[in-house]
Amino acid sequence: MEFSEHIKTANVEDVILTQPFHPPVKGTLCVTGHHLLFSGRDGDSSAQLLLLLRNIDAIEKSVENLVGCSGLGSRSSGQSERSTGSSGTITIKCKDLHILQLDVPGMEECLNIASSIEALSSLETVTEMYPFFYRPSFLSLQGQWGLSPAEQDFAQIKALSDRWRLSEVNRDYFVCPSYPPAVIVPRSIDDETLAKSAKFRQGGRFPVLCYYHRENGKVIMRSSQPLPGANRKRCKEDELLLQAVIDGSELGYIIDTRSAQLAQQARMTGGGFESKSNYTSWKRLHRNLERGKVLQESLIKLTEACSDQSHNMDRWLSKLENSKWLSHVNSVLATAGLLAECVEREGCSVLVHGSDGTDTTLLLTTLAQLILDPQCRTLRGFLALLEREWVQAGHPFQQRCAHSAHSHARLKQESPIFLLLLDCVWQLERQFPLALEFGEPLLLQLAQDAYASDFGTFLCNSDKERCALGVKEKTHCLFQFLCRPSERDRFINPLYQPTELAIWPSVQPPSLQLWQGLFFRWTQSGQYLQEAREEIRNLVMQCCRRGCGQSAVQLEADSSIPSSGVVDC
Amino acid sequence: MDPLAEVPLLPGEERVTDKDLIYMCPFSGAVKGKVFITNYRLFFKSTDVDPAVTLDVPLGAVSRVEKMGGATSRGENSYGLDITCKDMRNLRFALKQEGHSRRDIFEILFRYAFPLSHAMPLFAFLSQEKFEENGWSVYSPMQEFRRQGLPNDKWRITFLNQSYELCDTYPTVLVVPYKATEEDLRKVAAFRSRGRIPVLSWIHPENQAVIARCSQPLVGMSGKRNRDDERYLDIIREANGTTNKLTIFDARPNVNAVANKATGGGYEGEDAYQNAELVFLDIHNIHVMRESLKKLKDIVYPNVEESHWLSSLESTHWLEHIKLVLAGAIQVADKISSGNSVVVHCSDGWDRTAQLTSLAMLMLDSYYRTLKGFQVLVEKEWISFGHKFASRIGHGDKNHADADRSPIFVQFIDCVWQMTKQFPTAFEFSERLLVTVLDHLYSCRFGTFLYNCESVRDTNEVRTKTVSLWSLINSDQASYINPFYATESTRVLYPVASMRHLELWVTYYIRWNPRIRQQQQSPVEQRYKELLALRDQYLKKLEELQLSDSAPHLPNSTAPSPASPTQRVTHLHTPF
Repeated sequence: MEFSEHIKTANVEDVILTQPFHPPVKGTLCVTGHHLLFSGRDGDSSAQLLLLLRNIDAIEKSVENLVGCSGLGSRSSGQSERSTGSSGTITIKCKDLHILQLDVPGMEECLNIASSIEALSSLETVTEMYPFFYRPSFLSLQGQWGLSPAEQDFAQIKALSDRWRLSEVNRDYFVCPSYPPAVIVPRSIDDETLAKSAKFRQGGRFPVLCYYHRENGKVIMRSSQPLPGANRKRCKEDELLLQAVIDGSELGYIIDTRSAQLAQQARMTGGGFESKSNYTSWKRLHRNLERGKVLQESLIKLTEACSDQSHNMDRWLSKLENSKWLSHVNSVLATAGLLAECVEREGCSVLVHGSDGTDTTLLLTTLAQLILDPQCRTLRGFLALLEREWVQAGHPFQQRCAHSAHSHARLKQESPIFLLLLDCVWQLERQFPLALEFGEPLLLQLAQDAYASDFGTFLCNSDKERCALGVKEKTHCLFQFLCRPSERDRFINPLYQPTELAIWPSVQPPSLQLWQGLFFRWTQSGQYLQEAREEIRNLVMQCCRRGCGQSAVQLEADSSIPSSGVVDC
Repeated sequence: MDPLAEVPLLPGEERVTDKDLIYMCPFSGAVKGKVFITNYRLFFKSTDVDPAVTLDVPLGAVSRVEKMGGATSRGENSYGLDITCKDMRNLRFALKQEGHSRRDIFEILFRYAFPLSHAMPLFAFLSQEKFEENGWSVYSPMQEFRRQGLPNDKWRITFLNQSYELCDTYPTVLVVPYKATEEDLRKVAAFRSRGRIPVLSWIHPENQAVIARCSQPLVGMSGKRNRDDERYLDIIREANGTTNKLTIFDARPNVNAVANKATGGGYEGEDAYQNAELVFLDIHNIHVMRESLKKLKDIVYPNVEESHWLSSLESTHWLEHIKLVLAGAIQVADKISSGNSVVVHCSDGWDRTAQLTSLAMLMLDSYYRTLKGFQVLVEKEWISFGHKFASRIGHGDKNHADADRSPIFVQFIDCVWQMTKQFPTAFEFSERLLVTVLDHLYSCRFGTFLYNCESVRDTNEVRTKTVSLWSLINSDQASYINPFYATESTRVLYPVASMRHLELWVTYYIRWNPRIRQQQQSPVEQRYKELLALRDQYLKKLEELQLSDSAPHLPNSTAPSPASPTQRVTHLHTPF
């Protein structure tokens, strides 16, 4: 395999691994095509480390020549050719914010290892990435890839309304390269009209349905910005499409995730917004949400503040505020709340877009669905939501998650949009501890997998790219994996109690908290809280078992009455 | 219907007056309604909004009543009353600008909110409430010392203070080193501020290290020494047989301790106390804490300072003070765990000292983390050792600007809350208990927090003439239980006292703001109670079915054993 040419030294003995909250361990370090492997001497499992090279964001190395300095430990004769006394230190900063340090005896070995890590962690070819090699015995590549095909989602809506249809206008990805092949659109609009509307939208992202409100029949649509440009071009088909979304005289809202000023400026570069005169039934609301570089810098600042170990504690809150991360969380949640309010309380359909329609747009549509739709709050429902609104809808994961907060590389398209989504979901979970079927562990898992994963789910930037590379045939699906009974147990919230009601988050600053589970994951001992979480789980399980589970199970066995409805706590 | 019928009245509570006026709600605007004043509370009910807006404020929580606007002031609703409360809120009522409409209500409010300033009794002495449990029996010093394994061969119980002669702000029962004679104690008392000599608060069951508490030594400018005091501390040090130094934790910042010399106080000098190390914990005094909480109130009531929330919060320093108190208590607990005895004091030994000893005890001894144990802790370290509740809270007293007032006890409860956040399964009681304690810290409905010390409480016959707060709590224990409490043995809890891990107690300090998610009773506890109820329901059903099924009606041939009864039941639908 070509990886071997990057590996000059595959094994080093007597390496010392140092990570927060663990005593330093001496052991063997091993570099493979996709992993960094460390195995402690004592065979103690806490001293084992298996790190995906893809997870490494940045490394720092320093070598010292310590000739003449003795006492570095006895060496076996086989290693005597090693330049005695020299050593090096590699600091590894991971995309999941973990920081660890390796002290490698031997300058040359150290440099070799470092260059292997540098080369292998930044491989650009998708098909060389680990998901294409991950073949665990308990998973089969024959299984279904993904949770719910578009046909299935559409079937639900079809049962409630005949105003919508599933269009395959994008079956070859010609109309919109970042959309999936099948999308839901108004029944009265034919494919030809869609194709024309797509030409009037950035990246071909014409308005498609992403949420149908069961009670009032209103919808959330999403798209990218229209392209009126400086000449105020218009597109009849696009107007027709939007008109078809709402019934006759009704009013719809357009939530533009840019400020009015930015939307104006976008006209100079060919973009723009839906003008009042051409889209008479639509009222535009501008809510400026930060994206791209600004978010990336916010994450970097926050991570710096979190990893600052100096005891200058009295500046912590200011640093936290200066990173602006929580104010981004605030504005996203507030705007998602506004979107949900428009649909639920005002009874209006809403179109959401920014410029590309692949980032902040998806944040809003996802969170609004969590707020409104109890189905999305189950474990499976949530993963299906992510699949629809992020993976299928073409959030460019590969570009956005190429690096995280530590990288020294020049930033290109990196932006922690998906991390911001997970943070907002965490805030919801914190404010409504019973409403979500899943908890923090799932969000942490997703945060990690988005940046580096055994699975193919977050590879590539769009469905088109995934198809071209055979991702669905040659890698395993993370969401399917997380729904397996064995995994499911780890991620279930034991206190879950489904509610049909919308969950309206409070967005007052004191109601929002830093997500310590993510940002302090590696720098604080979460041991007690983890223990507490375990205890709570056991308590609830016990309580259920004692209270009704046992008697119900017994009853079922004795009288063969189906248990549905008996045990739902 | 007569709205008066809906005013909740406690036994012994009497209506004094009522008045139509407008409540200027900072969140929903002006609300018309009627206010009722009783000898215990101010109750407001709106007349024309649905759902009705109500206010139910114990008059004990009122710190200040002022008239706003004059007979000639312009603008709508500019004439009325402005009431400042001790529990982080203000209430404004507007009246019609005619005929001195507010005079009567102002005077009545002023009289009943500050009964002590008007030679009237506090409501606790008028209450006729009866409870199943008697809270006054929760704490008995002898029982508590016996629980700690005292007296033993190193520590004895002394009744020297039986009639409060040694120290009028200490309780009557004290634990002192076995080797120290009553004469020694008297001599030491002369060298300690207000006679508050070092006495035992807690002893480690295994290593026998003790937490002793006291006030500052009377060193003064000239640097006086007292051989008896020096020897006394050395006896404390060696009581558990270690040769280590005794650690004296002076809660104050170093400079404050030095400054205290000017007024006759001071700290234990290195030369005089050679077997001791002195550590300053940098905790500020009552005035600093009062101003800090006041700043906090400014940024959360009525409106939350939104634009720069975190830096505003930082500038109140409230969390920083919490951090220092917790960090100090951690140091105390850590010394004890490693087998060194410690002496804790500040200036008088009734504010910061009480915070430190009680928090350290909470970390060290899981008994204090139970519902009963926590009551014992508060009774012992705060009430019996003379935290000046009357002065710090100002019960029934009109002098709202009294410099003696300070939220020291609130700060302690906040620290406890921080610990419950970091160890969600280690405490038997819930947040609701903490909020209830703070509510009745002000309410004057119970005798528990009245007066400054035991001697005054005795004089006023508090135990016979008033009801204890713990009577209320212990008669309804289920409401104050943490559903996730996991009984544990003897683990020492070390919370993380870093700014990053401390949170503002939003559900207490900002609980009046409807825009902050209200969790008076957390949904988790609610759910737990539902589950418990469900369990009971099933068990009851099971029992019934067992009874009705005990007739010879066996579904199969295996004889049902009592442990696994067979039953038959139709679908049971859960109530949620």
